[in-house]
Amino acid sequence: MNARLASASAATAYQRQWFADLRKEAAQGGDLALVNADAPQEIFRTMGIPYVVNQWWSSIVTAKRRAQDYLGLLAERGYPDDSEQYSSIPLASAFDPDPADAPWGGLPRPTIVLAETTGDVSRKIFDIWDTQPGVSFYPLESAAENDVPTRWWELMPRDWEQAVGSDRLDLMTGELEGLIRFLEQTTGRVFSETRFAEVMDLVNEQQEWNRRTRDLIARARPCPLPVNDSIPSVMIPQWHRGTVWARDAARAFHDEVAERVSAGTAVCPGERARLMWIGRGLWFDLDFYRRFEESHGAVFVWSMYLAIAADGYLRYGGDPLRALAARFAAFSDQLYTPPWSAEWYVKEARHHGVDGVVHLVSEDARGSYFTTRALEAAGIPVLELHADNVDARSADGDALTRTVGDWLERRVHAGD
Amino acid sequence: MSAALAQLTSHGTDRRTAADDWRARHHGAVIGYVGADVPVEYITAAGLLPLRLSGSPGTPSTAGDRYLGTGLDPVARSVLTRLLDHDFGPLDGIVVSRDCEASLRLFYALRELRRVDLASALPPVHLVDVLHLPHRTTTRYVRAKLRQLRATVETWAGRSIDDAALADAIAVHERLRDLLTRVAALRRLRPARLTGAQALSVVAATTALPADRATALLEELLTEADLLPEHEGHRVFVTGSPHDTAHVYTALEDAGLLVVGEDHDWGDLLSLRRTAAPTEDALAERYQYNGPTAPRASIRDRAEHTRRAAQDCGAEALVCYARVHDDAPRWDYPAQRAATGLPSVLLSRQPYGALDDEAVQALTGLRPHAAVAR
Repeated sequence: MNARLASASAATAYQRQWFADLRKEAAQGGDLALVNADAPQEIFRTMGIPYVVNQWWSSIVTAKRRAQDYLGLLAERGYPDDSEQYSSIPLASAFDPDPADAPWGGLPRPTIVLAETTGDVSRKIFDIWDTQPGVSFYPLESAAENDVPTRWWELMPRDWEQAVGSDRLDLMTGELEGLIRFLEQTTGRVFSETRFAEVMDLVNEQQEWNRRTRDLIARARPCPLPVNDSIPSVMIPQWHRGTVWARDAARAFHDEVAERVSAGTAVCPGERARLMWIGRGLWFDLDFYRRFEESHGAVFVWSMYLAIAADGYLRYGGDPLRALAARFAAFSDQLYTPPWSAEWYVKEARHHGVDGVVHLVSEDARGSYFTTRALEAAGIPVLELHADNVDARSADGDALTRTVGDWLERRVHAGD
Repeated sequence: MSAALAQLTSHGTDRRTAADDWRARHHGAVIGYVGADVPVEYITAAGLLPLRLSGSPGTPSTAGDRYLGTGLDPVARSVLTRLLDHDFGPLDGIVVSRDCEASLRLFYALRELRRVDLASALPPVHLVDVLHLPHRTTTRYVRAKLRQLRATVETWAGRSIDDAALADAIAVHERLRDLLTRVAALRRLRPARLTGAQALSVVAATTALPADRATALLEELLTEADLLPEHEGHRVFVTGSPHDTAHVYTALEDAGLLVVGEDHDWGDLLSLRRTAAPTEDALAERYQYNGPTAPRASIRDRAEHTRRAAQDCGAEALVCYARVHDDAPRWDYPAQRAATGLPSVLLSRQPYGALDDEAVQALTGLRPHAAVAR
């Protein structure tokens, strides 16, 4: 089954048109924000400030096989080309001597950049953005908690105060109030509470559709769609969350998956093994996900993009700004920090009935040991692949393919 | 060598002796801590001994590598390995700060190892999440985190920390910072009275000894300053990764350089920021504005600090030592090089506690003449 999802094609077409329009608007001197993926984009949506997600642009550059060129531009200026590449590649756009030749016509120069001070390097990358003419950086704190309840996915939709903790929420709410004042002053735009409530409602509606889609795929036998097709169907609307289009796109994706399930569509008719992909998308080789269907009857049924959309964003009740703070104050903990990450991956593996997990472990191995351990302890075979998701230099594609093939034969099919 | 200097450098290197002695003589509890963002004043105020945990270059970090992955700063991997091997002796608690990403990951690993019972002998662990953006919202958050730490330390100590005891502890640690600042000046004299490696060991000793003992030894060292041997060398300022042992400084000084200052918190940065008043609120601000360290400060703040500090030290060159998997320094370096205007070298992806051959070669370009007199 090779027909691409209509929702994926529609989302990609929408994104191209949106980006072309955004470029036109920026060329006329409009405001443009570059924001990190885990930043509170809903504020920008509410105020009508166009934004580009840093990591999305990084994935476009990498998919167009320009990442090495861009990393080279950083190295020419004395900056590392092997540090936080997923976040640093867009910075190189500012140094591109031939922007007209860049993917999608190039990233327009932002006027505002926004990031949390996660890790040791994120804020440095944005500090350099801040030195570019006409660009202002607004840093947000990133806080950590001493003690957390384990089953966050049960608490987050309504009991987020308990899941995240009041100190972090006090801090992040204060940070968001500061951000709003900053944006009011620098852009002259207003923040309407009424509009903000609409945006928050639309985001919850969108993620509810994603939740239904996730549950459909989890239950479906055989798997009705390739995982790499689900990524644009989820993620492009995710970058537009808070719009009617994004909510409707999530619904269209759901309906299309439901139709395939009803029709008994199989991405891999001889499905013998259901696999989970843990880690970021392998942007330099997206075909990788389908390489084991014919040879081993193995199909990837899970990636974090739909699953985190299903479990990671829903926030109901309370003050809307505090609810937004609760969406972001601990977002990356959901994916990368034990015990949250490890227990959630086990929950998702069981929910999807997977036979094995391929776990992409970059050098920056956040909580990977504990994720692998928890899955293996639950009786699920895990293969760790050691590579960076955007930097093709870190991986030999043929070797990765052989490794997965051997593992499927040795550990996954051995239990058939 | 001065008796005080000999004792200080010994405790700076053999960091467990003072803790063993503390347990034997006072039957007192020892709290291990990670990072200069831990407000040790609470531990002192509760009558416990704070022991800053350090790694061990050259010793395999197999267990740490397994739990943290090999892509993290080797110091954190080494500290975790040493904790699992009980290298620091019995600890009654561990406080970890958010001074860098590797420390945070270390905390998460310790918390999870305890939760899933993979390392049941580990003592209780507490994260003190001191943040650094210069905002009032951050101050309020840091105050809340300090109150939380205070409660944890009270539980560990089995006694409450009253405000008077906290004020006394703040005064004790301020006195230590004053003395460390005066001792640091000895290596900026011409000729210098301390080498960089000695100065680093002295600072390290004050994070292993009980505060009153460290104070007495620093006072004694200052009275003996005129008797200390003189040292010459090409005067360099070290920026980049922190150094929890003197191995790299010794290698630099063996190469004919003299480290007259640095901007990491196992050295001069540890005593730079003072507490404006003997109160919890002032303590929160002291730790919020601690630094500027490479992993937490902006490129702009770092460059300005390095420029000023290198100038104050009379440095003739800048050495940026960036340890493997400690990425922040390499992002700071271009701006630091431009701001100082000094001849400089970037030693990139260096092994823990050592200089690789390429680095040794690169250093020769900085050293027109002179050698350290020993």
